[in-house]
Amino acid sequence: MVTAAERVSSHKWGMVVDVDRCTGCQACVMACQAENNIPLSTEDIYRQKRTFAWIRVERYWYGDFPDVKARFIPIMCQHCENAPCEPVCPVFATYHNTEGMNVQIYNRCVGTRYCANGCPYNVRFFNYWEPVWPVSLRNQLNPDVTVRSRGIMEKCSFCVQRIRRGVREAARDGHDLQDGDIGTACTDACPTNALVFGDYNDENSRVSIMAKDDRKYTLLDALNTDPNVLYLAQVDATGGAIGGHD
Amino acid sequence: MKLSRREFMTLAGGSTVGAVIFTACGVPADELLVEAPLDLPEDLVTGIDSWFATTDDSGLGVIVRVMEGRAKKIAGNPDYPINVGKHAVHSDFALQALYHPDRVEGPMRRRSAGQPLVPISWDEASDLLAQWMTDADGNLAVVTNPIRGGDARIAGDVASAFNGRLMFFDPLEQGVLHQAVKTVFNQNRIPEFDIANAHTVLSFGCDWLGTWLSPVRYSTKYGDFRGGDHRGFMMHAESRMSITAAAADQWLTVKPGYEGDLAISIASVIVKEKLVPDANISAYTANIPQGELDNWAPELVADRIGVSVERINDAARKFAGEGPSIAFGGGSAGAQTNGVFNLTAVYALNILAGTVGKAGGIQFNPAGSQDLPDSATGASFEVWEEELSQWRAGNVKTVILRGADLVHGLPRSVDAGGALDNVDNVVAFTSVLDESSTHANLILPENSYLENWGLDVPEPAPGYEVVGIRQPVVNAPLDGETKARLYDSRNFLDTLIQAAGSRVPVNSVKEFVEDTVADIFSAGRGSVTAGDARLFMNGVLQRGGWWDVNATETTGSPSNISSPIAKAAGPGLSEIEVGVEGHVFTLVPFAHQSLLDGRNASTPWAQATPDPITTVAWSTWAEINFDKAKEMGISEGQWIKVRTTVGEITVQAYPHPGISPDVIAIPIGQGHKEEIGGRYAEDRGENVLNILVDKKESETGALAWAATRAVVSKSGGKKEFPKFEGDAKDIIRPAEHGVPILIVEPGQTAHEAEEHNHELHLRFISNDE
Repeated sequence: MVTAAERVSSHKWGMVVDVDRCTGCQACVMACQAENNIPLSTEDIYRQKRTFAWIRVERYWYGDFPDVKARFIPIMCQHCENAPCEPVCPVFATYHNTEGMNVQIYNRCVGTRYCANGCPYNVRFFNYWEPVWPVSLRNQLNPDVTVRSRGIMEKCSFCVQRIRRGVREAARDGHDLQDGDIGTACTDACPTNALVFGDYNDENSRVSIMAKDDRKYTLLDALNTDPNVLYLAQVDATGGAIGGHD
Repeated sequence: MKLSRREFMTLAGGSTVGAVIFTACGVPADELLVEAPLDLPEDLVTGIDSWFATTDDSGLGVIVRVMEGRAKKIAGNPDYPINVGKHAVHSDFALQALYHPDRVEGPMRRRSAGQPLVPISWDEASDLLAQWMTDADGNLAVVTNPIRGGDARIAGDVASAFNGRLMFFDPLEQGVLHQAVKTVFNQNRIPEFDIANAHTVLSFGCDWLGTWLSPVRYSTKYGDFRGGDHRGFMMHAESRMSITAAAADQWLTVKPGYEGDLAISIASVIVKEKLVPDANISAYTANIPQGELDNWAPELVADRIGVSVERINDAARKFAGEGPSIAFGGGSAGAQTNGVFNLTAVYALNILAGTVGKAGGIQFNPAGSQDLPDSATGASFEVWEEELSQWRAGNVKTVILRGADLVHGLPRSVDAGGALDNVDNVVAFTSVLDESSTHANLILPENSYLENWGLDVPEPAPGYEVVGIRQPVVNAPLDGETKARLYDSRNFLDTLIQAAGSRVPVNSVKEFVEDTVADIFSAGRGSVTAGDARLFMNGVLQRGGWWDVNATETTGSPSNISSPIAKAAGPGLSEIEVGVEGHVFTLVPFAHQSLLDGRNASTPWAQATPDPITTVAWSTWAEINFDKAKEMGISEGQWIKVRTTVGEITVQAYPHPGISPDVIAIPIGQGHKEEIGGRYAEDRGENVLNILVDKKESETGALAWAATRAVVSKSGGKKEFPKFEGDAKDIIRPAEHGVPILIVEPGQTAHEAEEHNHELHLRFISNDE
């Protein structure tokens, strides 16, 4: 099926996560926090279970000691083609754009939180409070990214500011965008290259090639959300001896 | 028709006009693109960003995005050979350290013991420092974190100019590792581990993907190891599941201190079954008496070391199987009384594998460029005991501290604070007050690395010469109202040079960097080519350093391989107090993934980053085996007492299945007292280093920081952890096997695995099984 995005845009942005390479190091998490002016998750916010993490690394235990494994998986907005968060927004603050991205318009959001209820991946975060930084720490804030105020829903944007910059600079310099010209904060940071960002409409891009891997799967596939974030399964070279298939 | 957004909103305010606009213009596809503020004229922040290359405190090459004089983002330098464009979880913390609200604003002096610190001018502080250094001629100690390259050369020159000594402090020093590398390979510097080209990796005790040595470099290699044409097989031996153990295909749950026995037992299987070429066996056994290896047969050691016979045999066959294979170790494996034996036995496995100096194996590093110091590790605990005794006796007149929090990082038994109190003049360079600086009578605010010139020689190097250049990328921000600088800090080395005056041969760090780069230019080789020295300097600054991939010549090849069993010994764990109620554990401290040894504790991002294994943030926890905790009646969040013969701390328990039942593991980095470490670190958690017993590695005198035994008992009550786990898991609970982490066997497709899992699930819900 040709999606709306494929019909009208030359780009279809997406990400492939090779779970077999992820070490759980949190470099992606921190890079995202710094790039996107994400409010600090204080100790109180942790206790309230309202932490902000546009990308998070979940840890799952498999098996029991000593045949035990801790496995990690990075999870961010899946930028679904059939996104459950989009039709429930009464003010069209969240919608699907022409480049395969699920986007959030902050100044249109009225804070109903319906989208967070609808999202099966739990990747939307609501600003219950005005974000606060000491004055000196505000020097670090990224001027390309809006600081969201109280009452606003936010989530992974695929670092849209970097995409816009990349597109604009390519146009300025008179060349076509090449695979790798644009990276999100998390993919740029990831030391094992477990996270790869690119354009599915470029059949030679790394994401397009990885999307053909036999290990490809999507999260909560049965819900038919058709995510633009694909995962490559983790390999268990011990033949299931550590509880992977039990 | 071109309208600004504000004009558009004004017009659209009236519904009739708005309807007309929409009718006339339609909604072009581009309007559906969400626009970053950069594209919105009324929100546009004026200014152009620039990216500057520099080298961070951990030896990574970074590029820093600077906009209107403010550092906005730190990323890996794609050119720099160590990290090739990638960075660590802690890289961005430097931004918050730079703009930390509790940075020391200016020099402060304490005129007498017990008196408060009072602000003084830099002129007064500089004069005082020069006076105290001169007064201390022959009795001066300059103490820093381990530094290399030009930084070490300058600091050493200053110390020598006053007949003093430059000493390095690192709570988790690598002296045992250096000694083992020297013993096995006759090398003075840590070699390169060619993980990317190895097929089998066997590591011991070191969290090389998390916190050990150069985790970003090793992680990039690990990515290639996993993602190449042929997926490698990895085994890791450690008593606690670090993220390295989690990444391994096979986790070997060795008891602390028995890593050497495990390595030799693996070797005994390889030798007995002749799993490698005869030449390799001959080289390995050259100095081992006939039949001695039989004493390490798996059947004889399995119970003692905590790894089953089957696992040892399997590890040996895998290691000797498809190569190239590489073995390396460190961390808790070396932090034992028999640490050199453990690591010698580990590194000797490479001789058996026959991969020393080859692709996929151990590769030696050349000496540092321009004869600059290329290797640094903290002085041993034994040396520190002696040094502190001199301070305590009043034999040292001036101590200069920088990046070395002795009071926080040394066991309580040596009373580093008390020793500092007996020194006449204690000068602390720091940006946020730490435990040791509270004993100083002169506090000097230090620059962030983002404000400094410097020259680093990274260790471990990538197999060839590399010089990292540090350059200032920002200035101190100004107060919004007064326009005064928010803090008035200086480069530690420049301040020392100024105080030393004509006693040292350089006038500034910048001058040293320029002179060194000019010398490199005159050699006419390496990564930068230019017509003159000025252009060459520009090229070096733009790339964040200089390297020569052809400069690989090494010295000191092993000529006579010593016996890996010559130093065989069991671990000498500490005594426990008689009569104390509780269960006995081996206490294994470990470097926190984001706080490391505590150096990042002051930044809120470091505090808020969840630990990968426990997901806990903002606190100290104790990892304890799930079943053992159940046996003791301990549940998650329970307060427990961890008592050694030196002292006691009370922390919350985090039971999980990934730790040996006889081990309790506690992260380092917290435990700063009230008003210490800034608002985000003060009075938070506990410092496990302070209750370590002063057991020493028998050959090097290093602190055997994983050789303390502790008695653990329940304390009153429990409290919920500030942790990430629980935020999402209730939503994304595994609906069936393989959700969300799908696991495939080699060669199996995702679809096949999903079908198999679904079949299992259907059987489960229909109660067929």
